[in-house]
Amino acid sequence: MSVVANGDSHETENTSDQSYVLDIYPLSSYYFGSKEPIPFKDQTLDDRIQRMKSNYAAHGLRTCVEAVILVELFKHPHLLLLQVRNSIFKLPGGRLRPGESDIDGLKRKLKRKLSLNEDGNEIDWEVGECLGMWWKPDFETLLFPYLPPNVKRPKECTKLFLVKLPVSQKFIVPNNMKLLAVPLCQIHDNQKTYGPVISGVPQLLSKFSFNIIDS
Amino acid sequence: MVTSPVVNTYPLSSYTFGTKEPKMEKDTSVADRLARMKVNYMKEGMRTSVEAILLVQEHNHPHILLLQIGNTFCKLPGGRLKPGENEIEGLKRKLTSKLGCQFTCSCARLAEIITLDEYVIVKKLIEHTFISTKNVMAIGECVAIWWRPNFETIMYPYCPPHITKPKECKKLFLVHLSEREYFAVPKNLKLLAVPLFELYDNVQRYGPVISTIPQQLSRFQFNMITT
Repeated sequence: MSVVANGDSHETENTSDQSYVLDIYPLSSYYFGSKEPIPFKDQTLDDRIQRMKSNYAAHGLRTCVEAVILVELFKHPHLLLLQVRNSIFKLPGGRLRPGESDIDGLKRKLKRKLSLNEDGNEIDWEVGECLGMWWKPDFETLLFPYLPPNVKRPKECTKLFLVKLPVSQKFIVPNNMKLLAVPLCQIHDNQKTYGPVISGVPQLLSKFSFNIIDS
Repeated sequence: MVTSPVVNTYPLSSYTFGTKEPKMEKDTSVADRLARMKVNYMKEGMRTSVEAILLVQEHNHPHILLLQIGNTFCKLPGGRLKPGENEIEGLKRKLTSKLGCQFTCSCARLAEIITLDEYVIVKKLIEHTFISTKNVMAIGECVAIWWRPNFETIMYPYCPPHITKPKECKKLFLVHLSEREYFAVPKNLKLLAVPLFELYDNVQRYGPVISTIPQQLSRFQFNMITT
């Protein structure tokens, strides 16, 4: 905000013309193929918690970055989700390496999960704004959209970024995962199936108006 | 590193709260409210409402200011726009009308105080005017939009598929407060500062719009200022 010295305020305020418009393209304009599976690192929840604890001891707070990617189907925005093991849904993304930046890390994860590892035509992922953050005070699975009071040492922070797609792209997915396009109306309020992070995505996107581009 | 936008929050104690004449709700029941909405829709088309998220900090945790009607029902300050009214101007109008908020800093406000009973308030206003020439309350970005497809209470954070004529569109705006503000709360309402952790996942108490504000604010970095 910039203020003129005579006391009247002339801040660079939000005008109602400030629009968050998102171009989205039909699902049919994208290609989907598969590649060799990515092995799962943990067999059980306990394994995962153990691994998180040793990672925390070595590197401190773990940051995860995840991508919110949208396509259009039946005139309604659909979110791309990876389905693993039949009942677990995830946003494409993963944990950052120590010292890695959010954007570099997200691009690395998107390349690993959604495209060929050695690709002649490198996809240049367009990473947009951060839509929201979730914090894990403990190694157990509970997440909060704020740092809970009195928590001085959170164990994990997950950041959701909007990723904008071009008019057409090729997605190559490890064959032990499925890539789904799920309508926002199915995700909304459906914490039971999708968990708090994914089921909260429609609210994080609510300020955007979707410009559906029919090729 | 992507930096999150910063929001300055000041302690609740740096603000002054007074009262003003009661502002009664226009409708006595949900049914009345929906009926009146229908009448207005016939005359003016889809209702656009704007609401403000005003943040303070207590114990280093962000709190939202909510207006409580009666014993349980809480709402954000704001209201319906007039047909053709600009969203920002409309929200300022509502905040001025509901909470006596001031968006400009000038000594002309002193002319409004006319009785001796309000001497204490006058003194604080003078202090306020001279202290806060640096920053003034300002409307920030839109953080969420909710749609009402029918004349019912349910709202969604997207316009549902197959709905071509939504009845209401509600926009929530973050409002940046300066270090000192004076709020005049209507006598029949209470102004509460509710922590984010109390709102999160508490649909029963606060409804889907207010209980999901913590997620919509999660991308901001709160600069908790202690005076």
